[in-house]
Amino acid sequence: MAISMMRSALLRNSLRTASKPSAPTRRGFSSSAHHDDAYEAAKWEKIAYLGAATCTILAIYNLSKGHPHYETPPEYPYLHIRNKEFPWELAGEDMMPISNIAQNCMVVFFFVFLVCVEINSLSQFQYFKPVLGSVHLFLEIFDA
Amino acid sequence: MIESQRHSYHLVDPSPWPISGSLGALATTVGGVMYMHSFQGGATLLSLGLLFILYTMFVWWRDVLRESTLEGHHTKVVQLGLRYGFILFIVSEVMFFFAFFWAFFHSSLAPTVEIGGIWPPKGIGVLDPWEIPFLNTLILLSSGAAVTWAHHAILAGKEKRAVYALAATVLLALVFTGFQGMEYYQAPFTISDSIYGSTFFLATGFHGFHVIIGTLFLIICGIRQYLGHLTKEHHVGFEAAAWYWHFVDVVWLFLFVSIYWWGGI
Repeated sequence: MAISMMRSALLRNSLRTASKPSAPTRRGFSSSAHHDDAYEAAKWEKIAYLGAATCTILAIYNLSKGHPHYETPPEYPYLHIRNKEFPWELAGEDMMPISNIAQNCMVVFFFVFLVCVEINSLSQFQYFKPVLGSVHLFLEIFDA
Repeated sequence: MIESQRHSYHLVDPSPWPISGSLGALATTVGGVMYMHSFQGGATLLSLGLLFILYTMFVWWRDVLRESTLEGHHTKVVQLGLRYGFILFIVSEVMFFFAFFWAFFHSSLAPTVEIGGIWPPKGIGVLDPWEIPFLNTLILLSSGAAVTWAHHAILAGKEKRAVYALAATVLLALVFTGFQGMEYYQAPFTISDSIYGSTFFLATGFHGFHVIIGTLFLIICGIRQYLGHLTKEHHVGFEAAAWYWHFVDVVWLFLFVSIYWWGGI
């Protein structure tokens, strides 16, 4: 009952506001240029400064407190899991050897890398296009 | 723009970057697997692949910036396409993080007997959410305000103020990353300490990685603003960076509430 009364009151209110001809609908997108951006910039600048100041105070408070000391837990099987050596702990003989084919593939890969660097330096030539385009246009005008 | 073009679409020139990026990704994957399985030459191939990807990213985006500024290919229609593309990219990022939250809630809502039937698992000392994590929340929210300040400064044509605002945003972002680094260093658990450590460092680590990407994106926007690439009417690169930054901010809010706060009680 109370909910239905509230709903009808809400409906009445919304109808009343909708029927007013002097209430324009405005969409407050941040990208729309309807509001004053200089005002908004100044407002957000203040908010950012306020936030940074709060952060500074909180950071000083937190850092001056020092960090807590934790007790070493019992050796449960799910803690400190180590199943194999880390790759950076192994060297030379301990590592898995790879075939000559794989080694050659890596050399080819490095070569492709160098080719790409070379194509890049060549691709700089596309920026001559506007120059060539204007030459073309010039010739076309002359032909006509 | 080329004078014979009678439409407002950008038909891109042939480019070597898609294939070079693909080769880089292939080398990174194969090299990464080889490295993690302790094969000889794995580290070399992995480094080569990452170098290849970084190089491709640099030259590809350099070309896009030239197409936008020098060649003037980014018409209103092209800008719309770029916006749609970036929104879809962020949607895919949301799905990426959704998976990590799924893993976290799967493990924490019904903790298994193997970890003591409780969350956080028995023997895990958690971080206090109201110390560094709460401070980091405020830092990210402040940097969100600073990027909004930059946006309005660009729209108002205040070029210098926009550079300052972007510098403030980047500074706050760097402080966030610094505090996260400190927190990681001091944390009483590691990624190999139960499912808690695994889900915690997977989710917060990928978030941190995205913060670093967003910071680089904002730095590039700051440099471009300084060089005068961005105008009142045309600043798609900045808009994309701001959207990305807000996305990173929102992910942090979810991380803070669910993993640090709820997951630490």
